[in-house]
Amino acid sequence: MLIITCPFCGPRDEAEFACGGEAHIARPLAENKISDAHFADYLFMRDNPKGLFLERWRHSAGCRRWFNVARDTVSHEIIEIYPMGSLPKKASPKAAYKASWRRDTAAEKAAVRSPNKAGGSK
Amino acid sequence: MANSSNSRPDFSGQAALAGIAGSSSDNPNGGDAGLVFREISHLGKLNLRGDKNLAAAIKAATGCPFPPKANQFQSAGERHVLWLGPDEYLILCEAGKEKQLEDTLASTTKSSQRYAITDVSDSLCALALSGPKTRAVLAKGCGLDLHPSYFPSGDCAQTLLALAGVTLMALADDEFIVICRTSFAPYIQRWLADAALEYGYQFVA
Ligand SMILES: [Zn+2]
Repeated sequence: MLIITCPFCGPRDEAEFACGGEAHIARPLAENKISDAHFADYLFMRDNPKGLFLERWRHSAGCRRWFNVARDTVSHEIIEIYPMGSLPKKASPKAAYKASWRRDTAAEKAAVRSPNKAGGSK
Repeated sequence: MANSSNSRPDFSGQAALAGIAGSSSDNPNGGDAGLVFREISHLGKLNLRGDKNLAAAIKAATGCPFPPKANQFQSAGERHVLWLGPDEYLILCEAGKEKQLEDTLASTTKSSQRYAITDVSDSLCALALSGPKTRAVLAKGCGLDLHPSYFPSGDCAQTLLALAGVTLMALADDEFIVICRTSFAPYIQRWLADAALEYGYQFVA
């Protein structure tokens, strides 16, 4: 059993948490048209690496808040816990974020508002 | 809108453990029962979403300092405000005072102050536990370190008790309030009675 340190409640049993799968998957914006195949990268494709993985977890039986965890799927070592909406700060999780195939997908690029449409529809 | 009464209409609804008779078992080692527990029927429970800007209004409505620190609660007489999350709290008050408390909160906040308060009195069941083995019994089904030095009075936690989601409140070294879902209350009642068998227990209906 893992002991996971909830950023709000402190160390608790793994049984109190729910894993929400891969972190840092941005939804393509409706204004940026992409093909179904590219949208599938966002919707269906998930990593399952052997080693360092950036995941979302929720303290479901406690404060019910989401947070991010950088975890080694082999050793179960938790390398970093960091808030939703932010990126990891430690070197190896940072590198894992950069190295993800997802960074180069059309889906991820389409998750950013196009500059020429800035200030347009809200 | 039609009903501006300050009290809840009535308590015609059953208490969560109304169907369960009182029971007890002797302490096999002699002496007092290790655990005495009962339902706190119809205890007022209000879920609050908001932040520290509500401090004055919560103080006016409950008498409790606000906000409590993470995993702690503040009390004023029979009223308690429990920390549930960074912007979420549970207010406990006397049965029937929920509406009055909501109204006080509404009248002492400005319209620019955003918050949400929800009466969850009947959604949750509160049990009062006391006796020298209170912590020992709870520890059988809970992953938290319940030693008084780690979980002193004034601490609260949402956690699992025998796999059911509960909120624990330490009122004293041997005095707890356990809040669970109403639908889980009969299960928690039976689990507590079973877990306390070796210390002797008394369930007061
Ligand atoms: Zn938590």
